Amino acid sequence: MTAPSTPHQHPSADDPRILLDDSIGQFESIPPYPPRTEREAEFYTLRDGEMFINMGPQHPSTHGVLRVVLKINGEQVVDLDPVLGYLHRGVEKLCENADYHHINSQVDPLEYISSLFCEWSPVMAFEHLLDVEVPRRAEYIRVLTGELNRILSHALFMGWMALDLGGLTPILWSFIERDEIAEMLASITGQRLLFNYFRIGGVNGDINHDFMSRLGDWMSRAGAQHEANTQLLNENEIFVRRMRDLGRMDRETALRMAVTGPNLRATGTPYDVRRAHPYSVYPELEFDVPTRGHNGGDCLDRYLLRVDEVKQSLRIIDQCLHNMPDGPVMAKLPRLLRPRPGRAFAAVEGPRGMYATYAISDGTDQPFRMRIHDPSFIALQLVPLLMKDNLIADTMAVMASLDPIMGGVDK
Amino acid sequence: MAVTRGKAPQVGSDQPGQSPSALVTTTGRDLVQPIVVPNTLWSSTSATAYAGGRDSEHLHLTDLEGSDLVLRDDARWGALDVVPTKADVVLDLIRMNSLWPLLSGLACCAMEMMSAATSRNDMDRWGMFPFRASPRQADVLIVAGTLTTKMAGPLIRLWEQMPEPKWCVAMGDCTCSGGRYKRSYSTIEGIDRVMPVDVYVPGCPPRPEGLIYGMMKLQQLVKERRGQFQERAIGPNVPQDV
Amino acid sequence: MDRQLRKRLEARFAERLTGPVRQRHDQTEIRIAPSDVPEVMRELHDDPAFDFQLLADLAGVDTGAHMQCVYHLWSSTTPDWLRVIADGMPRDDPRVPSLTGLWPGAEWMEREAYDMFGIIFEGNRDLRRIYMPPDYTSFPLRKDFYLPDDAARSPGGGVRHMEQSHVPTQATERVVRRTVKA
Repeated sequence: MTAPSTPHQHPSADDPRILLDDSIGQFESIPPYPPRTEREAEFYTLRDGEMFINMGPQHPSTHGVLRVVLKINGEQVVDLDPVLGYLHRGVEKLCENADYHHINSQVDPLEYISSLFCEWSPVMAFEHLLDVEVPRRAEYIRVLTGELNRILSHALFMGWMALDLGGLTPILWSFIERDEIAEMLASITGQRLLFNYFRIGGVNGDINHDFMSRLGDWMSRAGAQHEANTQLLNENEIFVRRMRDLGRMDRETALRMAVTGPNLRATGTPYDVRRAHPYSVYPELEFDVPTRGHNGGDCLDRYLLRVDEVKQSLRIIDQCLHNMPDGPVMAKLPRLLRPRPGRAFAAVEGPRGMYATYAISDGTDQPFRMRIHDPSFIALQLVPLLMKDNLIADTMAVMASLDPIMGGVDK
Repeated sequence: MAVTRGKAPQVGSDQPGQSPSALVTTTGRDLVQPIVVPNTLWSSTSATAYAGGRDSEHLHLTDLEGSDLVLRDDARWGALDVVPTKADVVLDLIRMNSLWPLLSGLACCAMEMMSAATSRNDMDRWGMFPFRASPRQADVLIVAGTLTTKMAGPLIRLWEQMPEPKWCVAMGDCTCSGGRYKRSYSTIEGIDRVMPVDVYVPGCPPRPEGLIYGMMKLQQLVKERRGQFQERAIGPNVPQDV
Repeated sequence: MDRQLRKRLEARFAERLTGPVRQRHDQTEIRIAPSDVPEVMRELHDDPAFDFQLLADLAGVDTGAHMQCVYHLWSSTTPDWLRVIADGMPRDDPRVPSLTGLWPGAEWMEREAYDMFGIIFEGNRDLRRIYMPPDYTSFPLRKDFYLPDDAARSPGGGVRHMEQSHVPTQATERVVRRTVKA
């Protein structure tokens, strides 16, 4: 480690006077000395022929700032240790200081590409605490925009999956689809990415003509577009051969690792929060819960499962459009919200798994504790398990197939 | 709960064999005095900065252009001398039309950066398509996303690894000023606290068109040679007694 | 709301519950002592009458007086969420046995509870910080860890001058204290 540079007469332009002491770098080194836990001591002990490689917080994979320390023996990964926290923004603490209405803005950027689900879950928890009933039209709009957001997220997943394996075309195709849906949602919510649309008691505004016309246009081509996009990858030999038989996970392992969502359904378990613990108007809607277990729960199963989920989402959107009731979109609530003192837990099925909030209210206008349970956090625990005896390049494939979003992982 | 005043907080919660202990603080609802960090890192080139008497047309860059710091050519250019020649103009045109960004997407703004780079809002029209993975090959560091204290070290190392000439774009509210995480305990309120920024693109997240506008402004800076100057000032524009 | 679940829980864990079984909407809540956590969880997981296979969440809570560890479980036998609260841990030395023997996926959730609150999970092989840098010495989500806004009594009025409504150079100590007391 180089010593911190002392200021001299003519500093070069690439020598910013930084606030940080250079000793912070010691924890970026491998191994962080001394090992503090049993697992660390076991991981940071090298046998003959092994070495450490750091896949640092900045890397070409697009999931975000995740640092993975790999212990490799040649090209084979013997063990790996993910290091998180590079995007920890203290959201739970900020939520404790904020009003109930501010929570929307704080939780949006957690899983930033599926931010409506991040809003849905705390909003449902607060509605439990306030015992408020959401109007049916608002529920239908929530489901409609939520499923659009799920398609957004899965389209991005397909693009990233290919990008991490080296394919540059599918990401461009997914972003075309993504931009269309984002513009659609921008016409009702005003934002392309961090929507801030759901409110306690309903949604922020009714859908308008611009949204409906864009949605109608898009729906007429959506099925065919989706087929075309996925056909690019489904039968691509390189893609399939790289992903088949990689990162197998069985049902028991998945349940023991507390995994939910597509990662669990790819092992053959038909657990979906929308069916297991129904919320909103999902009991009235007809859709299947796709599961895939043909290949033993490998990366290809997880990919194909998300492809199936997009088809189910299209089906749900269709039903929402046909059955949309009239009425208000927001319940009448006072501006200053003081829920009853108590605890509430609300879970929604996000595109990555069960996204849940545990909210504790103490009767004042600020929540006492807002605990956010994020599925990407749980999914990343699987990476050391699934990467046993695989190659370095497979790390990217496995991580991409679990679809983590570091904003949610790090909160 | 024991009240200890004036005692150093127990350190070493992570060391093996030591039990964890939170920082022992005072009880009661005393007003916590703010910690004032004297500003020794930065001094404005203009004595009347921030405290009024300055119109909005008067920019920091204008100050620097008035001084003799900018007109001087960069020493690392070697043989090229002070007066900008036609070769310099051509070099500037080359540089501004192929600014290669470093893939430094940290959070949500990275999504909009990727959206700006893909088909619908195409940054490739200005030559900015190849997002280099290695800092050694990149020109522009577009910091897209919240900078946390843990990530600040690696990001600064990335910045230092980038070879000259390089520019920095702060994309998104979190990098401009801390944004919605300004009150948090683990974020850095604006990357200009730790690295010199050339263009600020506000928004949460900024639309892809906004980022493209910011990159076009950066191209303008590159062409006019305003982006690179030796005595860059780092730090928010806050005078010493505030 | 599943009344049968309440009866079954009361019948099974009668002497280990430290409070009544509470139910509201679709949630059932039981409170146990921290030392009973592994046995109770094992019974809830292994017994086919309960069959709580999915650990939905593991959270730490600082109530100001005590520390709690809150678990949420889901089973296919009941439509309710089960919330298990291990209550009554002292704030200066909160310890609770780890669930990683039963659910290895609880490891990171326990690391997070340790990082944010300082709760020691005995038996977790990897209890180190997960979000904050490894040399960080505080536990951010505890109630005695104040953000600058906490020092004032409302989320809007902070102590720093920039949060006041007047011109910055007039932010003398007297003005700040008066604003905060209001």
